[in-house]
Amino acid sequence: MPIWEAVQFALASLRAAKLRTFLTVLGIVIGVASVIAVVAITQGLDEYVSAQVLQLGSKSFTISKMPAIITSRQMWEEMQKRKDITMTDLEVVRNACGECSEVGGSSQSNRTAKWHDIKQEDVQVYGVTENYSRIGSIRELSAGRNLIPDDVDHARPVAVIGSDLVDAFFGALDPLGKTILVGGQPLTVVGVAAKKGSLFGFSQDNFVWVPLSSFRKLFGTYRTVSISIEARSMAVFEAAQEQCRVALRTRRHLGFKKPDDFAIETGESILDLWTTFTHNIYIVTFVVTAISLIVGGIVVMNIMLVSVTERIREIGVRKALGARRRDIRRQFLVEAVILSGLGGLLGVAGAAVFSWILGTILGNMMSADFSAPVRLWAVVLALAVSAGVGLVSGIYPAARAAALDPVVALRNE
Amino acid sequence: MSATTVVPAVHDDSAHIRAIDLWRTYQMGTEEIHALRGVSFTINANEYVAVMGPSGSGKSTLMNLIGCLDSPTGGTYVLRGKTVSEMNDDELAVIRNREIGFVFQTFNLLPRATALHNVELPMVYAGIPKIERLERARHALEMVDLADRANHKPNELSGGQRQRVAVARALVMGPSILLADEPTGNLDSATGEDIMRLFGKLHDSGNTIILVTHEHDIAEHALRTIRLRDGHIESDERRH
Repeated sequence: MPIWEAVQFALASLRAAKLRTFLTVLGIVIGVASVIAVVAITQGLDEYVSAQVLQLGSKSFTISKMPAIITSRQMWEEMQKRKDITMTDLEVVRNACGECSEVGGSSQSNRTAKWHDIKQEDVQVYGVTENYSRIGSIRELSAGRNLIPDDVDHARPVAVIGSDLVDAFFGALDPLGKTILVGGQPLTVVGVAAKKGSLFGFSQDNFVWVPLSSFRKLFGTYRTVSISIEARSMAVFEAAQEQCRVALRTRRHLGFKKPDDFAIETGESILDLWTTFTHNIYIVTFVVTAISLIVGGIVVMNIMLVSVTERIREIGVRKALGARRRDIRRQFLVEAVILSGLGGLLGVAGAAVFSWILGTILGNMMSADFSAPVRLWAVVLALAVSAGVGLVSGIYPAARAAALDPVVALRNE
Repeated sequence: MSATTVVPAVHDDSAHIRAIDLWRTYQMGTEEIHALRGVSFTINANEYVAVMGPSGSGKSTLMNLIGCLDSPTGGTYVLRGKTVSEMNDDELAVIRNREIGFVFQTFNLLPRATALHNVELPMVYAGIPKIERLERARHALEMVDLADRANHKPNELSGGQRQRVAVARALVMGPSILLADEPTGNLDSATGEDIMRLFGKLHDSGNTIILVTHEHDIAEHALRTIRLRDGHIESDERRH
């Protein structure tokens, strides 16, 4: 019996029990939809994070006291013991790195900013060298000017501010030339950085840049400096990192076998860390949702077993008319595969809707442009898996049907 | 059909069915039950045979063996030169498909399929293409005067009509034997007579018919009666 005949038999018996077919398919639909949606959302998250992290720029890297991602409390305590990176370290690196086109430094502290009676809490205050905005992804200004070497050389009390402060303080007024208080220190606004939006719900526009020299004068010199570096080209990217590493290790008299007591990080390396960190979470989430697919498979198997029991007489008749074992087996297998394959197809449609809704909700929560794209490979995988689930759940019931003795089956009431 | 062997010793052109010392033993726990205890007979082409006997006589068992639904535990069964008793399940399925046309007491039509599709079914298992199937199924329904009921489902047909659909289904593959098991058992006597007239016509047109029944009125339509008792043939009479 050709396969399309089996498909027609299967469709006929599925049509005959519409409610049962619907409920069985629903089980698979939910399983497939949640698997695809979970994949879509984790993919979306990954893409979102990498887009954000890679803003760091492809040939730039940072040297800091502590790495960007710390995975345990113990690690954090270990990192705390490290020496701060000093202005002298910055100078040493700047002088040693021939393959670097820009070497800048920054220190950071959170302060309250004030303009007249208006307060803006938790403003990230960065003390930066004048080249800071040119390293990595270039931060454009929407008004005024950037910091210039003179600002740094003379430790001028000037500031480039983020758009959150403009919104909070000035509204429609021109912020340029106004003097704001940051941590109680008066600073004159010379520039406004272009708005960037938020990352994981944290605003990236709630900041003030001041010259690093001014920062140290106003807020103290005890803070560690983080060094931002741009390599001359992609070709010397590794070499530039190596030059910096050697220079810093030499200055710190680190023994041959001692590990670095500072972190050199690229966008890539942070992304790698993120990936290893989230990888296991993704796997667990995937497995948990995949269980719903297994449950769907059990439902299919159960229904097929019921169906075989109900149709023993029919199987007997078919055998009397000349159906071989494989004809019966095929008919029931095809039925199971159609049940779950149909569930797979509808599940894909459900997943598209589901991940769009979840993507929108997540996007709103993080106030960011976030999308959870349904991937073709996830669709193909889900369809293959659901058809496979049908096949696996159909094998035993189909084998039972095929093995029925025609005499016994015909006698069945 | 590699396992199909022609046994020269029992080969006989006129012998349609040759049963030699057929035994069928069932195992019930530790006890052996002999439903058939060495049954031998020959049925020629275009014979019209009634198999009779009280319940427990072994007539259902014999019908299952003749219909290739079951295999004997002893003896040899040769159907048109093929030693059926040595065949496996799937080979028996092919024999049932090509050589046997079943008519059951309870009709055994697929309830959700139309009359046409029910008649088509054996040809699906024979691998006959759709167009030819439909043509032959329509023709078979015409032969039983049901051409106008082709698209009715069994529950839209009367008992007699259902049984005629079953006869059309049994004949559509052009089988060697039409094997009817109490074909009138679920019909009123007038309708039963209709069906028996149809059988008579089919016999006249050259079919070999084996009728299993316990009703004398029905058996009288046949030209030969084999009576079973306790697994043996009690009598085998021909009427002329």
